[in-house]
Amino acid sequence: MIRIVTLGPFDDTDIASLSRTLYQAFGLGTEFAGEKPLPASAETDDGRYDAEKLVREAQSPRLIADDKVLFLTGEALALPPGPLGEPPAWGYAQQGGARAVVSVKRLPARGVSEASIEAWRRRLAREAIHFVGHLWELHHCYDGRCAMHPSWSPNLAANPDADLCNFCREKSERKVRLAKT
Amino acid sequence: MKGQNPRPEDAGSPEGLITDASALRPGDRVVYPNQGVCRVTGVEVKEIAGQKLELLRMEREEDGAAVMVPKPKLSSIGLRRVATRDYVEGVFHFLAAQADDPELDWKIRHRDNADRLITGGVLGIAEVVKGLHALSRIRPLPTKEREQYDSSRHLLVAEISAALNVTPSIAEDYVDFALMPPAGTTFKLKPPPTPVELPVRLARRRPVAKSEDDISLDELGLELDAIPEIGEAAGEGEEGAEEKAEGAEAAAPEGEGEAAAEVAPPRAARKGKAEAAPRAKKEPPGKKAKAEPAPKAKKEPARKAKAEKPAARKPAAKKPAGRGGKK
Ligand SMILES: [Zn+2]
Ligand SMILES: [Zn+2]
Repeated sequence: MIRIVTLGPFDDTDIASLSRTLYQAFGLGTEFAGEKPLPASAETDDGRYDAEKLVREAQSPRLIADDKVLFLTGEALALPPGPLGEPPAWGYAQQGGARAVVSVKRLPARGVSEASIEAWRRRLAREAIHFVGHLWELHHCYDGRCAMHPSWSPNLAANPDADLCNFCREKSERKVRLAKT
Repeated sequence: MKGQNPRPEDAGSPEGLITDASALRPGDRVVYPNQGVCRVTGVEVKEIAGQKLELLRMEREEDGAAVMVPKPKLSSIGLRRVATRDYVEGVFHFLAAQADDPELDWKIRHRDNADRLITGGVLGIAEVVKGLHALSRIRPLPTKEREQYDSSRHLLVAEISAALNVTPSIAEDYVDFALMPPAGTTFKLKPPPTPVELPVRLARRRPVAKSEDDISLDELGLELDAIPEIGEAAGEGEEGAEEKAEGAEAAAPEGEGEAAAEVAPPRAARKGKAEAAPRAKKEPPGKKAKAEPAPKAKKEPARKAKAEKPAARKPAAKKPAGRGGKK
């Protein structure tokens, strides 16, 4: 079961659409579990939220067995700078764990036209699949059309599909099957 | 972060290769090539086939799997300390630097990558990831190498995570920030560390007139027999199948190219095994050393050196023969 928790206001139909895509991607029941406050402790000096801390400290519904929780936020996320600087954070996931977050901050503007909303939802779904994929132990993928390709990569399609490549799909299916047994 | 910094006794080995088990203490973090980051838990004495064996006991960090290696095998399996923070920073400069042209000869590539994963240190793992990544930009990777790309990534991320004390997710973002930086990103790159000169490399480079395809099963058998059986004791099951697979792979006729290579199940991520217990199953340590090409050094020149393909050796040829420095 994947539980979606919003950390701020989101449109119900956007969440419903995201739930459907996650269900299709992983074959796991997905449901909205309500809105919770942002964990203030994760706020950084520059007003962003420490992604790793946010995921750790945000309130989650009770998770049982292989349940996963996906937090959604409109806030910008921060990662600790690495040897070459700070990678852009579209979200964060505990690799092989239970908790992940996606920020819509970096998504293209949602707009008001049907087409722009559709594109926005597709990108949100793509990022959600990416970070839930990490929860199922998926690593990044070189295929620019796969949701596990890094979100910032120059090889990413301009309007990428919300889908996994065969390799990543099969790996996630194995992991999900394994968790069920 | 405990135990990751080289002690004075490792000063002679920048890659942190452990040759003397007495230098290890419980709590030390080490890397078991192809298996991942382990924590030393102690030493155990077991009697196997009438022989008293001292086994180094470790626990793989990611899943707690128990790993035991007979002490005399430590150097041959390539057990080493987790890379230092400084060294790992150098690895990022390697990842972000312009990639060499990928090795297009699948036989050389398979062998070199297998060697790098065993003896190349964390930079060797990064070389495999970066090399396969570069190849993937030309054409999709064949199944076996797609698996290897994934398992190498897994090893790289685990070691970076241990060395830099960040979570694996953050470590992977660091890796790909270097490997596939966002458009417009520029890095101030320093010269990367020198790759570990793989033991068989020098010998292999010597041109040998004969074709490399004269390998016989007899030869393979001999090779396998020549390797001490001592590691078996600590292992468990499954060797037979893998051994056959490896043999089949090594004997695959060149003409069949990638397709032939794929007949043999991937070594790093055999699906069946992964499914049964992903990474929870320890590989038989002795077996591993046996299955991998490193100990076959003595056979390499005759079998593998390809006089007819000097160009394909370009990436390796670029590397200075001098070894050992991280600077
Ligand atoms: Zn990611
Ligand atoms: Zn993929």
